[in-house]
Amino acid sequence: MAEFSWDVRSPLDRALIAGSYGAQGDAGVALTEIRDFDLVQVMARRGKAAEMVKAAQARFGIAAPETPKAVDTADTALIWSGPDQFLVLSKGGKHTIEALAAAFVGSASLSDQSHARALISISGDKARAMLAKLSSIDLHPDKFRVGAAAATSMDHTSITLWRGKDRADGQPVFNLLVFATFAESLWHTILDSAAEYGVTITHSEKLA
Amino acid sequence: MRIVCPFCGERELGEFTYLGDAKPQRPAADAGEDAVYDYVYLRDNVAGPMSEHWYHGGGCRAWLKVTRNTLTHEISAVEPAAGAGAAKVGA
Repeated sequence: MAEFSWDVRSPLDRALIAGSYGAQGDAGVALTEIRDFDLVQVMARRGKAAEMVKAAQARFGIAAPETPKAVDTADTALIWSGPDQFLVLSKGGKHTIEALAAAFVGSASLSDQSHARALISISGDKARAMLAKLSSIDLHPDKFRVGAAAATSMDHTSITLWRGKDRADGQPVFNLLVFATFAESLWHTILDSAAEYGVTITHSEKLA
Repeated sequence: MRIVCPFCGERELGEFTYLGDAKPQRPAADAGEDAVYDYVYLRDNVAGPMSEHWYHGGGCRAWLKVTRNTLTHEISAVEPAAGAGAAKVGA
């Protein structure tokens, strides 16, 4: 029997070319793909939303979001993804589906999304202008504040979008989770939208 | 047209999918053939406020019950459909 060795690759492995793209000069948009993360979908079982909230509080020491927002703990981000459900984003294997299973027995169903999504971090002084071409939601700084989240669509593709902490230079950061199989398509759309502002493209192993 | 999702807030029509009339209720198992025929095939063609099911597939993936005036497209109410999220069905 043939032996298989799985070659773990990012869904953006082919599309992402690190460096600069589009207009020359100071880049208005920075695109960073975050690789190698743990992502678990937590969905309350029928009639068990209150139990799930309690279980999350016990596990993470913080209330899981019940409205569209993202909250950070020391080593995870809990991101609202719909009514009575949220995503657990982390690195380093502390919050994998195996690690979380015991905490949510009876209250929620878990689904491992670690290799099912691509995570793209979009920042820079033109990030908002670029996203406005693709999104119909209001990203004005007064409306979509740090920690705001949305389950929405870009270019007919379902995404989870949330605003991370501002960069050290004060520029806004938008994080975007997209289904792995749609990531390349959306990546090219994002590049097209960002080209006029100049883009810096990187990938990183670190969560912002 | 925009719909104010009770979970997400105001969103554009493109994020939603229309199912249809929210009024018909599945008849009891012993209700008889006529009741099932009505439930499956017969629909009112309402000119005015109508209760409809919409799916927020491009967003939070919840089913919603929307009251829409079919003459003006004015939406007067949006609520989660029975069983949305982890709610008990009918709650």
